[in-house]
Amino acid sequence: MFKSLKFPVVAAVLALSGLATAGPLGIGSTATAEMIAGWDIDVRPDGMGLPDGEGSVAEGEGLYEAKCASCHGLFGEGEGRWPVLAGGEGTLDTLHPEKTVGSYWPYASTLWDYIYRAMPYPVPQSLSHEEVYSIAAYVLYLNDIVGDDFVSNKDTFAEVKMPNEENFFIDNRPDVNNERCFKNCADPSKFEIVTTINGVTPTGHFKEDSGVAANHYDGNPSAVSESGISTEKNITKVALSEGATLGRGVYDMACQACHNSGIAGAPKVGDVAGWVDRIGQGMDTLNDHAINGYQGADGVMPAKGGNMALSDDDVVNAVAFMVESSR
Amino acid sequence: MTKLYEPSLPKLMEAIAAEAGGMKGIDRRNFLKGGIAAVAGLSSVQMIPKANASTNLPPNLPEWQRHLGSGVVAKPYGEPSEFEDLQRRTVPWLTVDAASSISMTPLQDLEGIITPSGVVFERYHGGIPNVNPDQHRLIIHGLVERPLVLTMDDLKRFPSVSEIRFIECPANGGMEWRGAQMEALQFTHGMLACCEWTGVKLSTLLEEVGVRPEGKWILAEGADAAGMSRSIPLEKALDDTIIAWGQNGEALRPEQGYPLRMLNPGWEGNTSVKWLRRLEIGDQPWHHREETSKYTDLMPDGRSRRFTWVMETNSVITSPCPENPLKEPGFLEIRGLAWSGRGKIKAVDISFDGGVNWERTELKGLVLSKALTQFSFKTKWNGQPWLLQSRAIDETGYVQPTLRQLRDERGGWSIYHKNSIHTWNVTETGDVFNVQIS
Ligand code: HEC
Ligand code: HEC
Repeated sequence: MFKSLKFPVVAAVLALSGLATAGPLGIGSTATAEMIAGWDIDVRPDGMGLPDGEGSVAEGEGLYEAKCASCHGLFGEGEGRWPVLAGGEGTLDTLHPEKTVGSYWPYASTLWDYIYRAMPYPVPQSLSHEEVYSIAAYVLYLNDIVGDDFVSNKDTFAEVKMPNEENFFIDNRPDVNNERCFKNCADPSKFEIVTTINGVTPTGHFKEDSGVAANHYDGNPSAVSESGISTEKNITKVALSEGATLGRGVYDMACQACHNSGIAGAPKVGDVAGWVDRIGQGMDTLNDHAINGYQGADGVMPAKGGNMALSDDDVVNAVAFMVESSR
Repeated sequence: MTKLYEPSLPKLMEAIAAEAGGMKGIDRRNFLKGGIAAVAGLSSVQMIPKANASTNLPPNLPEWQRHLGSGVVAKPYGEPSEFEDLQRRTVPWLTVDAASSISMTPLQDLEGIITPSGVVFERYHGGIPNVNPDQHRLIIHGLVERPLVLTMDDLKRFPSVSEIRFIECPANGGMEWRGAQMEALQFTHGMLACCEWTGVKLSTLLEEVGVRPEGKWILAEGADAAGMSRSIPLEKALDDTIIAWGQNGEALRPEQGYPLRMLNPGWEGNTSVKWLRRLEIGDQPWHHREETSKYTDLMPDGRSRRFTWVMETNSVITSPCPENPLKEPGFLEIRGLAWSGRGKIKAVDISFDGGVNWERTELKGLVLSKALTQFSFKTKWNGQPWLLQSRAIDETGYVQPTLRQLRDERGGWSIYHKNSIHTWNVTETGDVFNVQIS
């Protein structure tokens, strides 16, 4: 099915003319081995791309609890609405399928690749190869796919078999064949009309009676307390100033990924002890640090949380929300 | 000549009216409000007490004609009139975090087939990176003769193409697999857009690097926090994949992958990797997270389809729709959009009775391959309830399926690729509701 490639011919012609190093148009520069090595992070099911290094389930446990559990739960069950990573075996053909690493993913290599490239969610590509070997081993362990003595390296990792591997098949659509009929195409006596569930759609922009807004992301109002604040204080109950009230939406959108969980050294919102000294610096310093970013003793606070679309006022409001919720 | 479509099945329509009875109170009130505003000639926007709008109406001279307006470059980059309300919108409860979320295109407010860049739907897995184009590079390596690193200037030296193509998230409509849920066109079909894309054909770049004979797959990878990655078969890359830097006459918007993205026409949007930084040529697919855990389709027997790339033929009526109810009886042009990932739209049919009987519509404007295509049907509405549906047929002869056909085959948990015939229930008041016929 693949079209035949005429590149070998082109290459041969170029070789004859003594220009074998340049392409037909001669545009661009050679990508050096060093450049490629820095960016070539992908891993494949046959093990291609797995780097040197080693890890263990035991080391993975501590790392996972420090860097992943605030969102994904201590046992991979998912805090609040953050993704579930474990469980769900035997549910795929039921009315409540639960797709997790263990129940659904066909290849273990995907787990290594994904954790390295994209997790922890707020600080991707911050883990060392050894840390990924350990954490990935621990996630497999949480899913009963490897034992607690599993040694995780490029040889053993490529050997791991996932239970659901055989249950994937190549796209076989079109799988339905409708007819272009014009008269009496359906039997209306068999029609069942299902209407929508009222109240789940944000319709404030076109219906007067609906209060739900859909033009900005205001997160899940309960996500803050659900997702990993082990705290001290239920921040949803604090009476907020006007600025802080406005700032809550900004916080949900741009700050909670780090500040709910305390990932990467971010002070947790609601953790009174962790905020006392920070608040002591005064609001100007806090606002400046939040707007312009800074490198502190605990980690890097990116300018505006990395979301440059925010106005300075948005950030100031978010800081007000964080401070008022952490006193 | 326009024909009046009476409810051909009075009993059925009565039954629908009875079933929708619960909603009627509220909606009649809405309708009354709308009716009063319409009589006074005021849209809700004009009702904002800016000026006494009625003094602008004939025979009076409107306020804006009595003095000079603002001059050139008052806005060096123009924006819509303050009276317009064109916005992407989201369903906040859908996702836990805005950086891995979705917003939808306001299809109900758009004209023609081009989606303005500012309201193209968004889908991110790790937010929008703020990429400096001078410091952005595309590396092409793997099973090639000449691994290359390309700057944006390098890329723009290649022969370029501009194509109008739709892009659609395969989860478009995915909230509706198990029942009607979303009371708005923007949310039932809005993960869809159509733009003119400018860039270099991937086949041109592949000739430049010289793919080795074993090279059969390409890994495309983004420079975002998600490091978005997908495996693309070489066959597609040599066919019509574009590496694009332009969108609707200007540079890509950051939301759409500035400064560089892949565009796989007709394929699920997720394969069109944004903020593209790397292409690796290999001899087998990578089976990364976005083609295993996500973007695979779970079937009722517990098995799953993989590599479901093509967006199959789909269509929807955009006027009337829940956001665009019928305001007065009389002449009516029913309008809609159809599209197919396999090529051109050949025809679109329309039904007023939930799919029992069908009529042909007219296609209008440009009919392009893998692009949104407009259809139109002229009729009259005199307060009769309708179960409005549209059904598209593409140039391969594929006929858009019914929801029942899809559910019989795929069950209710496959999330993606729900391209079934959609139903709007137009009530006697002119209000429009999303319903499903099963
Ligand atoms: C701040 C919250 C947060 C933290 C901390 C975090 N993740 Fe995630 N994780 C997410 C989100 C959000 C997603 C889904 C991203 C998307 O939508 O593409 C995700 C997805 C995943 C997935 C894929 C789930 C699936 O079913 O496809 C894995 C595996 C994963 N994370 C592992 C980890 C590991 C291992 C760590 C620690 C090193 C970690 N995560 C830390 C939020 C988090
Ligand atoms: C990628 C993770 C991350 C995100 C997103 C993030 N922060 Fe931070 N933030 C940090 C870290 C880490 C620190 C602690 C730095 C230190 O003191 O070592 C911090 C500290 C702070 C502080 C305390 C400053 C001080 O001087 O003690 C404030 C205020 C703050 N962040 C506000 C925000 C706001 C507002 C947002 C959203 C607009 C946000 N952060 C988003 C990681 C993040």
